[in-house]
Amino acid sequence: MTQRVKKLLELLQKREFRNCRISKDLNITRQTEQMNKIERDIIRLSVMLENETPLIFEGERIGFNRTLYEIPYYIDENGNRSGLGFGNFTPDYANVISKGFDQILDEIRQKLEGCSDGQAEFLKAAEHAVQSVLKFAVQYKEEAKKKNNTELYEALSQIPHKGAQTFYQACVFMKLIIFTLRCNANAHITLGRFDQYMYPYYLKDIQLGVTNDEILESIEEFFISINMDTDLYPGVQQGDNGQSMVLGGCDKEGNDVFNTLSGLCMQASLELNLIDPKINLRVSKKTPFQLFELGTQLTKKGLGFPQYCNDDVVIPGLVKLGYDYEDAVNYTVAACWEFIVPSCGADIPNIITMNFPMVVNDTLHNFILECDTFEQFMEKVSHEVRAECDRLIESSFWQISLSPYASLFIDGCLEKAMDLSQNAAKYNNSGCHGAGISNAADALAAVKKLVFKDKTLGKLELLDALNSNFEGLEDLRHSLLSCPKMGNNDDYVDQIACKLMDVFANYLNGKKNNRGGVFRAGTGSAMEYILSAKKVSATADGRKAYEPYGSSFSPALTTNLNGPLSVIQSFTKYDMRNIINGGPLTIEIHDTTFRNDEGITKVAQLVKAFIELGGHQLQLNSINRERLLDAQKHPDKYPNLIVRVWGWSGYFNELDLPYQEHVIKRTEFSL
Amino acid sequence: MSITGKVFSIEEFSTFDGPGIRTTVFLKGCPMKCMWCHNPEGQSFESQIVKNTNGCTGCGRCLDVGERLTGKRTLVNESISACPQNLIRLCGIDYTPQELTAKLLKNVAILNGSGGGITFSGGEPLAQVAFLKQCLMILKDHTHLALQTSGYCDETIFKNMLSYLNYVLFDLKFIDQDRHMQYTGASNTIIINNFKTLCQSRAQFCVRVPLIPDVTDTAANITAIAKLMNENGARYVELLPYNKMAGGKYAMIGKKYCPTFNEQKAVEIHDEIFRRYGIEMNVL
Repeated sequence: MTQRVKKLLELLQKREFRNCRISKDLNITRQTEQMNKIERDIIRLSVMLENETPLIFEGERIGFNRTLYEIPYYIDENGNRSGLGFGNFTPDYANVISKGFDQILDEIRQKLEGCSDGQAEFLKAAEHAVQSVLKFAVQYKEEAKKKNNTELYEALSQIPHKGAQTFYQACVFMKLIIFTLRCNANAHITLGRFDQYMYPYYLKDIQLGVTNDEILESIEEFFISINMDTDLYPGVQQGDNGQSMVLGGCDKEGNDVFNTLSGLCMQASLELNLIDPKINLRVSKKTPFQLFELGTQLTKKGLGFPQYCNDDVVIPGLVKLGYDYEDAVNYTVAACWEFIVPSCGADIPNIITMNFPMVVNDTLHNFILECDTFEQFMEKVSHEVRAECDRLIESSFWQISLSPYASLFIDGCLEKAMDLSQNAAKYNNSGCHGAGISNAADALAAVKKLVFKDKTLGKLELLDALNSNFEGLEDLRHSLLSCPKMGNNDDYVDQIACKLMDVFANYLNGKKNNRGGVFRAGTGSAMEYILSAKKVSATADGRKAYEPYGSSFSPALTTNLNGPLSVIQSFTKYDMRNIINGGPLTIEIHDTTFRNDEGITKVAQLVKAFIELGGHQLQLNSINRERLLDAQKHPDKYPNLIVRVWGWSGYFNELDLPYQEHVIKRTEFSL
Repeated sequence: MSITGKVFSIEEFSTFDGPGIRTTVFLKGCPMKCMWCHNPEGQSFESQIVKNTNGCTGCGRCLDVGERLTGKRTLVNESISACPQNLIRLCGIDYTPQELTAKLLKNVAILNGSGGGITFSGGEPLAQVAFLKQCLMILKDHTHLALQTSGYCDETIFKNMLSYLNYVLFDLKFIDQDRHMQYTGASNTIIINNFKTLCQSRAQFCVRVPLIPDVTDTAANITAIAKLMNENGARYVELLPYNKMAGGKYAMIGKKYCPTFNEQKAVEIHDEIFRRYGIEMNVL
């Protein structure tokens, strides 16, 4: 890390620079009263950019830092405040960065000749947006000149009018695009395959004698720069801002394309320790082992990434859903873990949630008494899962907002002179989360075993216990908790989970949405492992009312787990190509496991084993402090939290308070 | 009828008990009583009802059951399912060699894929030698087998067991007889003899030294260990620095942890001594 980068990092970490931001109530309702929505949104962008003040920190070469807290708004004819526009996609940065906005304007003007009125409206709005952005960029150029910031001044003399000539200029251009899309109310702007679309600029620089160290410096400045304003894009929680980056993976010919630039991005992430970009590593059976070790070095930092995505599973899965192979092979990750295609995709991968435990519970309450065998009951459950799919599809008819400016970054929109909201993109699919799969499978396994096989639990007795939230029925709850659980490599329950996923995915995949696309079934939960769980009373797996599920595709929180080897086997039994909207298995590993090279290698071997077993997505955590503190308050929620103590491991819950305190204290420094 | 062994824990993905990814099986019961023992639930050869005291609301239902069944306010098997917090469990499960090995072999592909295998630890695994031997015989052709031992075991048995093992993690605590007796409750004569047997065998092994402040980490003790290793051609040692969490599990089995040494003191790592004797060292 260079001195300059170090100083910028300090500036970022002190956060004082955010004090110069101001709050301005930019209500544009009146001035745009006579306009339609498309015009209003364009005015919103131009008003925003006119009110922004150039802010270039000392020593930085990127710029485009926010000085306003909020973007302008208007109250529409229905009395609603204008909200966020389209988001959670990977823009086609490469196209705009290589051409520059002048050429984009030329293309717009060419299209304007002989187009329809509707097309003209879109094209004029897009042109207006680009003009506002160009005008704004001039302000930054002048500010750079005033501050004697030669490098930024020279960069802005080239871009954004013309295409970027160097790697550094391409970084500045990217930041400008991200900044302006945010000002245009587009949220969750992901970074996509940065190491691929930036690679031509890297190669050109290297040929001209630029060193890898200099490239690294540009990457680190860019990474710092995209962290400057993350407090303004909180999403559901601070940090949920969608700035995911995908490194490595294969090309159309199946070659591994992890390159020197990918390695430099990993190095930058390792050195900076920042929440963004959230690194996703695309891997496969062919991935060299060293990459798993490098990824594990990053996991050791305790930031919760990289997240691994398995090309061997994801690409065929997307092809099965109807994506062309050339697009599927280029897949990226949306804000969290949704598999999307960059540039030509306008999917909404998180539009609905299948709440599995709720469906199982409702079926139990409504139909168990009339079932004589578990098979009959499972038939009812399958029927209800399909019925819930229908209800969810019905509820998901959603019109996305017009977004002419964002449309310039989606292939197909300008060619067709149509907004992305008019389904101009090649892909307009919708994704469905699958929350609480393990809790649901566990509940079914308990019903199968105790009610139908052992016959030690009466149907009414079970229903009463669930209705009373197990009050005074500890024995009964204990027998439910002692049944086979997903995560312990036990076919008894794992096959039930496979059946649930099969019914869900086979029914939902390919169903038409209202945007000319199809639905895609997934294993993610987003925040639904808490929110959806809050709506569901006690379940037959022994979970008490309203308590959370396991996050995404993970074991239930109350499961007494054998360990990670059993977990990765349980969660790779289903053919994951069939349920590929995304949603990772999460494994927690104590930070001391990472303390030497031997530990790093073994964690990397675990990841490799998961990939070889056909897992689709994996995220590992080096155990964090908040979780430990919560575990102290609610030990029953974390029966599997293992801490490495002294050449040995123990369950956190089983340690006396002072020893727990010690573990927690240690995380203050190591995480 | 098949014999059974008593197991108090099976740990998947144990990363510091031998090469590669391993599953470590902890056999219950130990003839020694080391003052710093961090697995006190592994000392007794009997199954025990253990209660995790963290999260206990003191509702007393576990003791109510005991009183109803035995007349005394004590933990009984039935207390396990009486606890609303699910904090009580049976420590010490009986397995036949067939049951245990079937369970372990479910993960064998991953273990072998990483160059790892299965480690038997304890307690003292050699204290259940008949059971251990049957397990090793079943597993022998499937995976890499390691043993973590105090070396406190009949010399003929020890020698005999080596032929079933690919790797041995052998503890050396003190060379001085009196101090060994004082801190572990056992003589080290057998241990040192077994160590010599190990060194003369073809088995791969490493020496492990728990570093206890002012107890085992003294220059005199480390020099004696390094010297013994050198004389017998042992070239690799792993040091396990004392961690203040060693006493964490005593309350769980209703015991008190009473170390006479100063837990707060940092341990000494005498790397120069091992270097002088040409021994490679790794601190875990």
